[in-house]
Amino acid sequence: MNRNLNVFGGLFGASFGFVLAAARLHEYDTIHRMLRLQEFDVFLLMGSAIATSLPILWMLERRSIQTQFGGRLVLSRSKPQRHHLIGGAMFGAGWAVAGTCPAPALAMLASGASLALVAIVGLFAGLHLRDRHATRATIGDGEHRELVSAPSSSSR
Amino acid sequence: MNVLPDRLPWFVAGPVLGMLVVGLFLVANQPLGASGAYVHTMKAARGDTDRVIWRVWYFAGIFAGGLLATVLGSGFALKTGYQALTVVWSTPVVAVVVFVGAVVMGYGARLAGGCTSGHGICGTAQRSPASWAVTATFMATAIVVTALLHTLTGGRL
Repeated sequence: MNRNLNVFGGLFGASFGFVLAAARLHEYDTIHRMLRLQEFDVFLLMGSAIATSLPILWMLERRSIQTQFGGRLVLSRSKPQRHHLIGGAMFGAGWAVAGTCPAPALAMLASGASLALVAIVGLFAGLHLRDRHATRATIGDGEHRELVSAPSSSSR
Repeated sequence: MNVLPDRLPWFVAGPVLGMLVVGLFLVANQPLGASGAYVHTMKAARGDTDRVIWRVWYFAGIFAGGLLATVLGSGFALKTGYQALTVVWSTPVVAVVVFVGAVVMGYGARLAGGCTSGHGICGTAQRSPASWAVTATFMATAIVVTALLHTLTGGRL
């Protein structure tokens, strides 16, 4: 089971990285033009990704279907708290300066851009620093989560 | 190899990405967030017992997928990257700027519990109020900071 989930993890990662690089989201110029509001492709890309997945997930949740490795499908809906807003503001500021975010930075390095390695090391440093400061885990609905429903098989 | 179009249009990439989000929920009941991949790769490196190994595979997969798209597209070539920034500053300065930006970004992602993919796509698609709030916050901040950068560099960025 574990091994199967690892294979799925690798495949989903590869598909994700492929789409990001093929759409040129791993280039500084693409992100910078987006944030300068000169080009709206990335906003439209994100919007159409949400528009595709939101209704399907909603429907699947209503039917409370079983996922392959993670038990019954459960979506997370936390209330906004202070840490969300502070974290979001820090993330946005760093994103504007570095011109890349976690997944595109990996695809950027894969395209041969050596400075992407600096961004990746910096990201790890920032995440680690937060872990050192944290007195308790923060809730976010975008990160890996402890499963809420009883898993039908190992989730690890 | 130039088998891929110069740039995959948003109306193809977006829905494909949306289906990948649905797919990972169907398989693992988990969001397709990238900061979680970093977190668990870091946990694995630190030897934490609560690391999730498939997230490390997922992390490596993003790199591999990016490499495949590069090879099938314009081709792999070593370069520094960040060309627009190297016009404004020398490469060592650019490295420091990018590093500082990335540290702040990483800290913020961990504090907020997700990044552009995790909150911006997967969280919003789960109809999470927290994710919509984080996404609105980082979008607004990033647009303001980019405008500031543009002004501070005398329009060169």
